[in-house]
Formats: sequence, structure tokens, C-alpha cells
Amino acid sequence: MSASYTSVGWNRAKKAYDTTIATGLVVYLLFFLGIGLAVHPEATIETLLIRALALAAFLMLHVILSIGPVCRMNPKYLPLLYNRRHLGVTMFLVALAHAVFAIVQFHALGNANPLVSLLTSGAGFQTFGAAALVLFFFMAATSHDFWLANLGPRFWKTLHMGVYFAYALIVVHVALGALHAEAHPVLAIATGAGMAWLLALHVVAAFRERAGDRDTRRAEDGWIDAGLVDSMEDGRARIVCAGERIAVFRYDGKLSAVSNVCRHQNGPLGEGRVIDGCITCPWHGYQYLPGNGRSPAPFTEKVATYDVRVVGGRVYVNPQAHEPGTNVEPAHA
Amino acid sequence: MNFDVVHGALYALAIYLAIGSIVAVPFLIFGIGRIDPAAKAAPLTFRALVLPGVVAMWPLMLQRWLMSGRTR
Repeated sequence: MSASYTSVGWNRAKKAYDTTIATGLVVYLLFFLGIGLAVHPEATIETLLIRALALAAFLMLHVILSIGPVCRMNPKYLPLLYNRRHLGVTMFLVALAHAVFAIVQFHALGNANPLVSLLTSGAGFQTFGAAALVLFFFMAATSHDFWLANLGPRFWKTLHMGVYFAYALIVVHVALGALHAEAHPVLAIATGAGMAWLLALHVVAAFRERAGDRDTRRAEDGWIDAGLVDSMEDGRARIVCAGERIAVFRYDGKLSAVSNVCRHQNGPLGEGRVIDGCITCPWHGYQYLPGNGRSPAPFTEKVATYDVRVVGGRVYVNPQAHEPGTNVEPAHA
Repeated sequence: MNFDVVHGALYALAIYLAIGSIVAVPFLIFGIGRIDPAAKAAPLTFRALVLPGVVAMWPLMLQRWLMSGRTR
């Protein structure tokens, strides 16, 4: 949260996450190089490294793109989302290493500037890869919360949604490059399977969310019926939809409603819990007081709040949002 | 792609990044705390981490810095 920035807010979970990424990457590279040298003893280390790094970055990109929909379908995978940015930055560094080795191997030995040679060689697949790498750079370079705060959540989110465009560029890069050169169909099948996996995950997650939104019912005066009080778990929320999603929390015998969208990275507040009296975003732990939607001091984030009432054991929410940070008297559960 | 066009574009990019590198130094020492108070007391490692983004987006950061001076 934004009292004062640090480079990385290290904690045990982040250290474990990053150790897993680094260890996995090193083991993978050693494994790939070992197998590669055994199967293709004529291949140079540089060539094997170019291929190993390319495949590692491509696989990591698939994992990164899978994390969002997987977490929407099953919250038990949320720890994967918690530090996804570090995975993204690592993926960029791996892709950059792949690009540097490839440029040195294929473009640095002539008289021309290697970058000029890269872009004028007539091998179009390299241009697609370079364009994707530029996008990955901007996403990695702006991954710190400083950029989120200073570029604004909308622009920042739009920039980072560019990962899907970058993925499309990479698929073209792979199709015109590696798949074009490789006679064996396994790579083409694996690439197609990866695309099908990502498409299916996103479609299923979107359908599930839409189905949840359609269940929203309204009272005659337009207030949204959030269901029976007794069916709501203490410390948890029910998400209702009124154009915007609203999270209705039950806590300490009270009910309060806030916007479902965290100010940090648009995380789903309603999938979080009330911890130490604060609504806690499941993505990165940003906190808000349920009664006024404000982050506890010294933090300054605010989300919109909504009026809540209980009639006949049912919870109703006024879909008219108050200004972010507005104090609203909680309803009694 | 045309050789001269690519050569010219890369030359322009190099100049852009060189200016960004020059702007980034005073910005990360003095300017960043002006546009965002949460960065005022931030450690050197934080400034190093945002350096690539500042170099890449220096016109935007410079504009913010200049605007922060006017609104005081």
C-alpha cells in the first residue's frame, strides 16, 4: 500500500514464490541443456540456450495467462496470483536473454549493426518477436506500484492487458519461426494445445462470472436482493451485480457493502476476507474499513460504499454508489 | 524493411533513450518525490527499479515534474 514505496515488500510468501521460480528455471535449463546435448551432440551451447530460453519464456507466458482465470474459478490457486508480477518480470528477462543470444548468434557477426540486420534480414518472424519483447519490457518496467499510482489504474490495466496482444505476436513469431523450420509436428501440436487451453480457460471463467451476475434480483424500489443473512458466512462477502459488482460483507454481526474493485490492481475484494476488522483483497492484501471503504491510516486508498438494509431476514443493497470513502452506517445482521 | 528507414529509426531511438537517461538522474533524485510523496523517502533500490520505466517514458515524467512545480 502507498505510504512509502520500497523496492520489493519482501515476506515469506514472496521469498518462497521467487525461490520456486528461480529454482525451477535453473533446473529446467540444466535439464534442457543436458537432454539437448545428449540427443544433438553436434549442437552448440548457444543454439541450445536460444531454444531453451525461448521455450521457457513461452511456457511461463502460458502459466501467467492461466493464473487469472484459474483463480477466478477456484480461489485455492490465489497464492499463484499473489506475486504474478515477479513471474512476469522473470519471463521478460528470459525472453530478453533469448533475444540477446539470438541476435549475437545470427546478426552480430557481419558488418551491419546487429539491430539493423535483425529488422532488415527479411525474416519477418523476428519482427513479431521484437515487437512482443518491447511490450513485455513496458509491462515489466511499469510493474511496480509506483507506476500503477502515477499512470492511473485504467491506463496501467490497459497497458498490462497488452499481454494478450503480445501473446498473439509470440504465437506468430513461433509459427513463422520455429514451426516453419521444424519438420516434426509435436511443436505445432503443443502450440495449438496451449492456445486451446488458454481460450477454454478464459471462456469458462467468463461464463461462470456472467452466470453469477445474472442471478442478481431486485426489490420493487430497485435495491438489489443479496439473499438471506443466515446464508452469508461471517467475515466473507456475497458479490452482487448492478452494472458494477458490489461486495456485501458480513462481519461482527454487521453488514456493509463496498465496490468489488480494489484500487490497487482491480482485484476482487468480495473474494477476500475481513481480517483484523478490514476487508482484505485476496490478490495483494490491500485493506479497507468496511464502514467507509477507506484504507486504514497511513494509507490513502478509497473505494465506493453502498447503503445496506435487512428486511425479513434478507439483505438488500442500494445500487447507487456513495463517493469513495463515504461513511455508511452498517446494517445489523 | 528499408535499410535507411530502420537505420534512421534506431538512431532516433538511441537519441530518445540517451535523453531519457540524462533526464532520469535528476528526476529520480529530486523529481520523483515531487510527483508522488510516497516516493520521497523511498530507498535507492526502489529508484533503480523504476529507472527503466523513467528512461522509456521520460517525456511523461518530465511533464509531471514540471506540472508539479506549477501547481505549488
